Amino acid sequence: MIDSPEKILVPQSELLLSPHWAEVMDITPEAEGISTYWLRFTDPVEQETFRFEPGQFNMVYLPGFGESAISISSDPNDHEKLGHTIRFVGNVTRAVSRLKVGDIVGLRGPFGTYWPMREMEGKDVFISCGGIGLPPLRPAIYHIIRNREKYGKVTLLYGSRTSSDLMFPKEYESWRNANIDVEVTVDRGDANWNGRVGVVPMWFYQFRIDPRKTAVLTCGPEIMIRFVIYEAMARRVPVESIYVSLERNMKCGQGSCGHCQMGPYFICKDGPVFRFDELQSFFNVEEF
Amino acid sequence: MPTERIPEIGSTVTIQKPAFNSILSRLKEDGYLPIGPRLKDEALVYAPIDKIEDLPQGVSTVQKPGYYRLTRGKHMRYFDIIPGAHSWKQFLFPSRAELFKLQKNGREWERLPEKEEPVNYAFIGVRACELAAIQIQDNIFMRSDFTDPIYQAHRKRVFIVSVNCTHPSETCFCTSMGTGPRVKDSYDLDLTELDDVFVLTIGSELGKRLMTGIPFEDASGYIRTNVEHKLEHAEQQMRRKLDTTDLPELILNHLDHPYWNEIGKRCLSCANCTQVCPTCFCWDTVDEISLDGQTTGRARVWDSCFNPGYSYQAGGNTRPTIYSRYRQWMSHKLGTWKQQYGTLGCVGCGRCITWCPAEIDITEEVAALRNEVER
Amino acid sequence: METKTEVLQELQKIPWFKEIKPELLQKIVAIAHLRPIKLGEILFREGDKEDFLYIVIEGRIALDIFIPHRGKLRIYTVEPWDLFGWSSVTPAIHQRTAGATAVLDGLVVAIDSSKLRQACEEDHELGYLVMRRLMNIVAGRLLVTRLQLIDMFASPEETNAN
Repeated sequence: MIDSPEKILVPQSELLLSPHWAEVMDITPEAEGISTYWLRFTDPVEQETFRFEPGQFNMVYLPGFGESAISISSDPNDHEKLGHTIRFVGNVTRAVSRLKVGDIVGLRGPFGTYWPMREMEGKDVFISCGGIGLPPLRPAIYHIIRNREKYGKVTLLYGSRTSSDLMFPKEYESWRNANIDVEVTVDRGDANWNGRVGVVPMWFYQFRIDPRKTAVLTCGPEIMIRFVIYEAMARRVPVESIYVSLERNMKCGQGSCGHCQMGPYFICKDGPVFRFDELQSFFNVEEF
Repeated sequence: MPTERIPEIGSTVTIQKPAFNSILSRLKEDGYLPIGPRLKDEALVYAPIDKIEDLPQGVSTVQKPGYYRLTRGKHMRYFDIIPGAHSWKQFLFPSRAELFKLQKNGREWERLPEKEEPVNYAFIGVRACELAAIQIQDNIFMRSDFTDPIYQAHRKRVFIVSVNCTHPSETCFCTSMGTGPRVKDSYDLDLTELDDVFVLTIGSELGKRLMTGIPFEDASGYIRTNVEHKLEHAEQQMRRKLDTTDLPELILNHLDHPYWNEIGKRCLSCANCTQVCPTCFCWDTVDEISLDGQTTGRARVWDSCFNPGYSYQAGGNTRPTIYSRYRQWMSHKLGTWKQQYGTLGCVGCGRCITWCPAEIDITEEVAALRNEVER
Repeated sequence: METKTEVLQELQKIPWFKEIKPELLQKIVAIAHLRPIKLGEILFREGDKEDFLYIVIEGRIALDIFIPHRGKLRIYTVEPWDLFGWSSVTPAIHQRTAGATAVLDGLVVAIDSSKLRQACEEDHELGYLVMRRLMNIVAGRLLVTRLQLIDMFASPEETNAN
C-alpha cells in the first residue's frame, strides 16, 4: 500500500498565522448588529509598541471560529487600546457578538496600505463614505483633528440607511468643533429625522470642491464608492487625488492566501487603500 | 574502475541503472525521505520509494483532454511515464498543514507544544516543467517581504533529482512556456534515462557529495549526442502550443469579452484544474474545536478560486458565476501573475487539460479568445 | 415691484439662473413670489391640488409619503438650489404625489405652475430652458431613487444575493 506522508510538520519557532493575544476591555454598541470592541494586548510591551496608520486593519482571531479582517477604528495616537468596529455578518463576527469584557481574542497586524495623511497636507480633504465605511476613516479624522492646521477645508459627507444606522453620532459635534464640516444623510428618514434624506453621491453638488487641491477619500458599499467616484470625476478631481478603501475576503493579510485578489493586486497588502488610478482599468469589470 | 573518484559539479557521467539504488540508500543514510513516481490506482503518484524497483518500469501514459490511461510493455524505462494529478506542490505546500493547537486555560488559550521534526525530502524525477513550477512557487512563498515558514522549512531541505523529459504526453506544452522539456538548472542531480544507463549531471555540492563511492563513467560523446537527440526529438514531438504573444494584454484588455461566458457554460467549477496545477497557491484556513470547547486546532488547506466560498465576504460573493471564476483563474495564470511575480503562472505541464472533466483545454481557450478578439 | 426685485436677487444667487437671458428671467420673476417658511410648516400634502413649483433658497424641505402603520416616511430632502413640486409643470396626475414639510426655517421661491406652463407654451425658448433644467433635476432624482431602491447598505442575508 502506498501512501503519501500525511503528517506535515512545521518548525515550532516559525508559525504561520500566529495570534497575539488581546483582552476585550470594553464594548460600545454602535447600531443594530454593530459594536466597537476595545482591545488591549495582554503583553504590555506589545501594547506599548503597537503602531498603525489610519486605514490599516488587523486580523481578529477567535479560536475555534477563525479570523476576520477588521479595520482599526480608533485613534492612532491612543496607545492604551485598539478599537475595532465590527458588523456581525459572518461566522467569525457572529461569534464576536458573543464576546464579553475580559474575554481574550487573537490579533495579527497591522496590515495594508493607509490613507495618504502626509500627501494630503496642505490640501482640502473631502471624506465621502457610507455605512460601515466610516470606521476605517475615523483614525484619519482623529489624525486631521490633531494636525488640523496642516489641512485646508475638511468635509465629512456620510450616509447610512436610517438614522439609527449612523456610526459614532455622538462624536459629530466634537468633529464640527474642530472645524470639520460634517454632513450626514440617510436613505430613508422617519418623521423625527430633520437631516438630509438622499444618497451620499448626490450631495456633491452642494460643496465647492476645488479639484486642484482636494483629495477625496471614500469607503463604503462598492456601489456607493462607484457613484462617489463618478461625482468626484465630474468635478474634475484627478483620479490621482481619489483614494478608495476596498474590502475582499481575506485569510492571511500578507498577500499569500490569494483570496483578496483584484486584478494584479492583493487587497490585503497592495490595499485596502488604493489611489483610484491604480484600480481604474478593472473597477467596472463585473464580478472581477 | 576507480570508485574513489568523485564527479565534479557540472560534469556529466553515466551510471548503471541498479547503481541508482546506492543513490537512494545514500539519501536515506543522509536523513532524506526519497519521494518518487509510483503507481497507485492506475495512475502515477508521487510517494516514498526505497529502491528502483518501486518505480513503474515500462509504463507510459496516454493523455488527452479529460483522459489519462496507462499503457505497458512498449519499453523498459522507468522515467518515461508522465505524471498524473500529483505534483511536488503537495510536499512543499501541503494540501493540509497543521498550524497550531490551542488549549483553553481559564480565559486564555495556551499553545500545545509540537513534538515532531520536519522531514527532509529527496524528490526523485522532477521534470523541467515541475522544476519551473517549484521556482514559481519559490517566488510566491519566499518573497522579499513575506516568507511562508511551512514552505521554506521544506524547500530549504529538499534534494532534487531532476529528469529530462524525452517522451512528453499529448497534453504537454512546456516548449510554449519556455520551461522544458530540457532541465536547465536548480537541481542537485539531473538525470536522463537511456535504455541501458542513467546519464547524470552533477548540479550542486550536495549532489557531488552524494555521488561519493557510486561507480560511474564519464559520459562519452556518443552518450551526450544521444541525449541531445532525444531532447530535440521530444521538443519536436510536442505539437500542442500556447501562443504567448501579448499574453497578459490579450486577456487583461478583454475582461469584458463575451467569450468568457462561452467557457463559463462548459466549466463545472469543480476546481480540479487548480488542485492539479503545480503553481496554484491559494489556501484557506480551518478551525477545529473540540466538543467541550477546550481545545482547538488550526490548519491551512488548499483552496481554489473556483470554490463558491472563495470570494465570499461580508458584502456578498464577489464572483457568484462560473464564468467569472474561470476568468479569474485564467486571467491570473496568464495575466496578472506576471505583474505580481514577473512570470506567467503556467509552466505548460498540461495537468489542467488532462484532469478537466469538461475537457476544457487552456491552450485552445487562449487560441479561441485570440481568434474572437482579432476577428 | 419691490418684491419682484427681491425675487430676482434671490434667484440670481443660483448659478443656473445667471445663465438665463434677462428677458426670459423676467418672465419667470413675473409669476413668482418669495415665501418664508418655518420649521414644521407643511407646504403641501399628498393629494393637494395646489399648483406651484418651488425653488429652495434657504432651509430644507422633506418630501414624505404616508404609509399606513408605518407613518410618514421621508424619502428625499430638498436643499438650497434644488427644486420640488416639479411634476406640476408637466402634470400627469393633477394632484400632489408626496407631501412637503419644512424641516428647517428657510425661504423658497414659489412659481405659479399654470402660468409657467402657459409661458413655456408661448415662448419655446423659455420652454426649452425650463424643460432642460427639469430634465436634469428629474434625472438626478431618478438616480437617487435607484440607489435608494437597491438598498446599498443591505447585507447579503437581507438581499439573499447568494
